[in-house]
Amino acid sequence: MSYLLPHLHSGWAVDQAILAEEERLVIIRFGHDWDETCMQMDEVLASVAETIKNFAVIYLVDITEVPDFNTMYELYDPSTVMFFFRNKHIMIDLGTGNNNKINWALKDKQEFIDIVETVYRGARKGRGLVIAPKDYSTKYRY
Amino acid sequence: MATLADSFLADLDQLSDNEADAPNEVDLEADIMDEDVDGELADIEALNHDDLDSVSKLQKTQRYSNIMQKVEEALQKVPGISNAETNLEDDPEYQLIVECNALSVDIENEIVIIHNFIRDNYRLKFPELESLVHHPIDYARVVKKIGNETDLTLVDLEGILPSAIIMVVSVTASTTSGKPLPEENFQKTIDACDRALALDEAKKKVLDFVESRMGYIAPNLSAIVGSAVAAKLMGTAGGLSALAKMPACNVQLLGAKKRNLAGFSTATSQLRIGFIEQTEIFQMTPPPLAMRACRLVAAKSTLAARIDSTRGDPTGKSGRDLKEEIQKKIAKWQEPPPAKQPKPLPVPDSEPKKKRGGRRLRKMKERYAITDMRKLANRMQFGVPEESSLGDGLGEGYGMLGQAGNGKLRVSVGQSKLAAKVAKKFKEKSYGSSGATSGLTSSLAFTPVQGIELSNPQAHGSLLGSGTQSTYFSETGRFSKIRKT
Repeated sequence: MSYLLPHLHSGWAVDQAILAEEERLVIIRFGHDWDETCMQMDEVLASVAETIKNFAVIYLVDITEVPDFNTMYELYDPSTVMFFFRNKHIMIDLGTGNNNKINWALKDKQEFIDIVETVYRGARKGRGLVIAPKDYSTKYRY
Repeated sequence: MATLADSFLADLDQLSDNEADAPNEVDLEADIMDEDVDGELADIEALNHDDLDSVSKLQKTQRYSNIMQKVEEALQKVPGISNAETNLEDDPEYQLIVECNALSVDIENEIVIIHNFIRDNYRLKFPELESLVHHPIDYARVVKKIGNETDLTLVDLEGILPSAIIMVVSVTASTTSGKPLPEENFQKTIDACDRALALDEAKKKVLDFVESRMGYIAPNLSAIVGSAVAAKLMGTAGGLSALAKMPACNVQLLGAKKRNLAGFSTATSQLRIGFIEQTEIFQMTPPPLAMRACRLVAAKSTLAARIDSTRGDPTGKSGRDLKEEIQKKIAKWQEPPPAKQPKPLPVPDSEPKKKRGGRRLRKMKERYAITDMRKLANRMQFGVPEESSLGDGLGEGYGMLGQAGNGKLRVSVGQSKLAAKVAKKFKEKSYGSSGATSGLTSSLAFTPVQGIELSNPQAHGSLLGSGTQSTYFSETGRFSKIRKT
């Protein structure tokens, strides 16, 4: 489903995308289109893109094509989703320990929309860290 | 009729003469009545007459033969292009067409009269037939075919009636109570049938003629429904102006036959559609949309008829436009509905909340507020293991509830602010209460620590606060549990 979403092909483009967006959340998925995890994530992203277009915009970045952020954002996972608002990285407490990003494939559309809404609310209020509506820690998996 | 004055005079006479003149009066009035009735009921009575000629006079009239002759001549002629420049009303051909329309209506009426005559006669032979075959011409044909035959299996009705009806007719005939007609009556009936069929033929001829001139008379109407149907519509309505004055819903029904379904469902039989069903547009429409299409065609053809009746557009362009419009509409009906677009979510918190504060909201909040007991159960004291429902940390934990030093196993419902307010108001009003605490709250608690503990029930308000205050996380709390001595 990655073909339905806009790709950013250079570091400069990524910077501009984050900088230029004033009113909306910028959601960037770092990874590879061919990656299995990314494919799952893109499926969800593409299906909600139209629904959340009023307050969030989604971009895809290939980390091989654009390696500029790999060290800065520690992009070692197959798929990484990060949130930015007015040139600021918004952290989310997902209960996983890594508050910087979603580094697995979320398979539920509504869960993703809920996270985006929460991030947007928090970011509008000037928070740098928001708490996700659902705890994704392994504690609830067992 | 006797005038009002006469009747008043009669009344006076009656009063004065005391019924002496009354019989006369009645006779007089009865005479007058008789004359009136005779005039009106002439044809009805004639129906029961034996003589067919007294019933149907149309064929013998000068007008009928004149028009029929002209029509036949005109049909022989190649329909030349009439000079459209002359005024339509003066054109002899137009006059003829107007007459033809009038005549076709007359023929229709005549057929109905003859039909009545045939029915009245044939009822003796086959009383049920009239309820099985409604259409006058069909009836006449069937009567002619059956004749005086008693055994219907010998009669082949194929081609006259639909096969379902043929079956019903033959079954009914086998049980009918009718008897063969006497020769004289039978001959008359057959004559009447012939006459009805002849009239039908004549009507067809007239319609053919009108149809051939339709492009000239009603270019717009014939552009929509085709000249054949246009001629039929005009003929049935009784002329173009009559058709123009007709509402569209009636145009739709023009030529609708009363059909005998022989017990079949009415669901699929299009009972309410007349000549419109013969139009090309109607035939091209899929059955589910047929009724809608029919209404549409009827409405537009009425408009076209109105244009034609005033000679608004002799070129027929409006008619073609209307037809195109109809076809576009029908095509549009058959399109699938547009795909549903996903509706984007609104921006969170973009619109202000509708619900504001107020007494009712405060009350509701209070009603659903977390209770003190629940608050205690949700809290843990630092360094103290909690009690649990199954013991040993299994099951549901009780938190600070029922722990030693707490002095509370059951927390009494704290007085609500609202209730306090009301109580205060109440007190101010009348009773000077002592302000003593309620006697219902117990200060006795059985705790896991064996023994009885006495505590001040009023202290629980401050104790709740101490749940946080005494812990490590509170502002006033100390790091170490060891206090300075």
